[in-house]
Amino acid sequence: MERAELDNGLKVVVVPEPGATIVGVTVVYNVGFRSEPEGRTGFAHLFEHMMFQGSANVAKLEHARAVESAGGVFNGHTRADVTVYYEALPSAALELALYLEADRMAALALTEENLRNQVAVVKEEIRRNVLNRPYGGFPWIPLPAIAFRSYPNAHNGYGDFTDLEQATLADGRDFYARYYNPANAVLTVVGGCRTEDVVALAERYFGGIKRRRAPKQGPFPEPALKADRHQRAGSSLVPQPAFAIGYRTPDPIGNLDCFLAYFMLAELLASGEASRLRRRLLHQDKSSTDVAAYIGTFGDDAFMVRDPTLLQIVVHHPGRTTTEELLRAVDQEIGALAEKGPTEGELQRAVASFASTHWRHLAPVPSRSHIVGSVETVHGRADFLNELPGRLAQVTPNQVVSATEEILHQHRAVYELVPERAA
Amino acid sequence: MAARPLSATKTSPPVVGPVKAPKVPRIVEEGLPHGVQALVVRHGGIPLVEFRVAFALPEGEIAKPAALTVLCHSLFAGTERRDRTGLAEALEGLGAHLGADVHEDYLVLSGSVLAANLAPFLSLVGEILTAPAYPEEEVRADAARAADEALIALSQPEVTARQALRRRMFKGHPYSTPIASPAALRRVNAGILGDLHGTLLGASAPVLALVGDMQPARATAWLQDALGRWLAHRKTAVPDLRTTPPLQPGPIELVAREGSIQSNLRLGGPAPSPTAPDWPAALLAESIAGGMFTSRITANLRERNGYTYTPHMFTSHFRAGSHLVAAADVASEVTAAALVETRYELGRIATTGVTPEELELARRHAVGRFAFQIATQSGLANTLVALAVKGTGTGYLHSHPKGLLAATKDDVDDAARRYLAPSQLVTVVVGDPRTVQGQLELVDEVVVRTS
Repeated sequence: MERAELDNGLKVVVVPEPGATIVGVTVVYNVGFRSEPEGRTGFAHLFEHMMFQGSANVAKLEHARAVESAGGVFNGHTRADVTVYYEALPSAALELALYLEADRMAALALTEENLRNQVAVVKEEIRRNVLNRPYGGFPWIPLPAIAFRSYPNAHNGYGDFTDLEQATLADGRDFYARYYNPANAVLTVVGGCRTEDVVALAERYFGGIKRRRAPKQGPFPEPALKADRHQRAGSSLVPQPAFAIGYRTPDPIGNLDCFLAYFMLAELLASGEASRLRRRLLHQDKSSTDVAAYIGTFGDDAFMVRDPTLLQIVVHHPGRTTTEELLRAVDQEIGALAEKGPTEGELQRAVASFASTHWRHLAPVPSRSHIVGSVETVHGRADFLNELPGRLAQVTPNQVVSATEEILHQHRAVYELVPERAA
Repeated sequence: MAARPLSATKTSPPVVGPVKAPKVPRIVEEGLPHGVQALVVRHGGIPLVEFRVAFALPEGEIAKPAALTVLCHSLFAGTERRDRTGLAEALEGLGAHLGADVHEDYLVLSGSVLAANLAPFLSLVGEILTAPAYPEEEVRADAARAADEALIALSQPEVTARQALRRRMFKGHPYSTPIASPAALRRVNAGILGDLHGTLLGASAPVLALVGDMQPARATAWLQDALGRWLAHRKTAVPDLRTTPPLQPGPIELVAREGSIQSNLRLGGPAPSPTAPDWPAALLAESIAGGMFTSRITANLRERNGYTYTPHMFTSHFRAGSHLVAAADVASEVTAAALVETRYELGRIATTGVTPEELELARRHAVGRFAFQIATQSGLANTLVALAVKGTGTGYLHSHPKGLLAATKDDVDDAARRYLAPSQLVTVVVGDPRTVQGQLELVDEVVVRTS
């Protein structure tokens, strides 16, 4: 990985791969739904949509036309702490991708018509992924709402319809001016490229964008829960109950070693059929349909989130057993791990299994470019990705025991979703 | 070198040179004992190897998928030497993942492993295939869990939409079979799975592929060591499958989903097979109509009207026939309006064809997409298996991009007329009848079906 920084503060990360015929280009802005203003839930994501609606030299739909016409693909996504834009194209189209990204960083063209159009599109996205879908948004929307109390951490990042409808062009201009500036962004290029070409082209296309002070981001302080929280909600769409438990993790950046122990704990609990909770709930008790454990908002972003975040255990079950009984079984397994600790073999297997999943996730050029860009933005060094299997291999049984004891002594949040007959 | 801000001067995007067919890695067709072929490809990049073994399904299994669905769980419930946990531990220790999935007309075991552990991984695969245990109690539990999973799948509106569309398009053909019902799944037992394993995994002709960071000759030797005995006594003939029936377009089918706040709109019809001479042209026509972000349907339904987040079009190639689908999930209030616009765009492309600019864009996009599809180890392994199961040779990896580069405007206009005309497509809508039936009746005849 090679790095440069332009005078205006834009960081450039290049991962050249000689001979590769595809290039991945990502711009990550250091802003996510944690930073959106009160009364404007969902705005960071809505704004991501607006970034495809045209800029000074690239009309609406021209971004898509240029990328697809070059034989490429593109997309974007919004997370708690980052907003990510990427395209992957034949290597010869590197310059085009940089031009397109620079144009919308330099001068976005916001119009009322396009804003109303994208509010409608985002509402359909939310209807499709949350409101009209069994288990839609579970648990990433409701669990933080009870695990956290402060607005940045607790609110719905997809947004309430009333907030989305009230969004104005002025909101868009403010958000753009504050967060979409070169000193608040990382440009990542991976695959078929040479570092010196990338730096020269970045200078040519992004170098003229005015330097502005990077906005203050966080911290987003969140006191620990003073008591357990448990919320139960009915849904007429779901055929079976499900619940999610949220535990606070250590600061992923400031306390990385401890955070990695929590990460290993999640792997030991529910990654693979030999993991503690899958053995217990699926194969021994036969009480559950599925169980997962992960850190972060969506399970793919543990190394792209800042503090506070959650270790989540998510259980789907047919309802033959009560939630309380299932929670007791989960507690027993966590208790057994705290008491006797993991075996060396268990840790070694978890690391090997993680390593192969990790390399596989990084294999497609588009994913690699946006994972590298997101980790660089949040952790400050994406090289960390290459070191990750080795870092996890150094986590000791004692560190896992400490993490396990900590979560046993925490107050936790439990969100339960239960079937309910339609009114 | 400091440039002026882009906004100060009007600029145009850098011009990108001509698009080229992707580089295809060398595919070695290794002969294994008993006439079985394995496709072996050295493909570095990441330190993994992808493994696939697939079996074309006979009609009976496609029409009755319950046992196969449970088999995908219980295949890993243990072997003569290890229980489920022991097997999972052995795989995880190698940095390996292994799973089984039923596609429409084939079963595939997909695995990946840290490259250094390929040999012991293959011998574990051999152990699973030659000496599965199917313990009675485990199978019973897996069947119950598969039934629970089916309940969850059946609650998803897109699953309802896919099943309704297939029922209409493939009436009387095994492809119209819905996912196995919870009741059918619960009836599956260890005896049934043992028999199925014997006839399907133990005796029919498999398709094998290895793609990754390895030496093909050594990998093939390990494959022979691990699977040689299992490969004995094979019937090499692929099971017969009736061709799909001709389409009967008919009225709009509205599948009732009370209280639904969106409608799942699906139009479907036949498409050319991957080996048909007009397949590249049909793919380009479909891309221009609805298969890209820059397509006519996306520009209309999403970017102009805000009716939907997800308009898309795609073709699925099954063994007995290919079909295309145009899909969008739209707000209930605009269901009929979205259908009118979709039919308008399909009718327009079928009657007046494409522009030269659209064709060039679609051509470059399609070649680029294909390059991405085969760029990763797993993408290439999946593509090789899907082709081989259908009996399409690996030459497709070279001929398909060439076909895309060679298709003329006349070819694409012909394909649009042949495959995209709305009068020749089935229309299915999953939605709330109270909100959408009246609207839809303004557009066309509607039959309501309670799912």
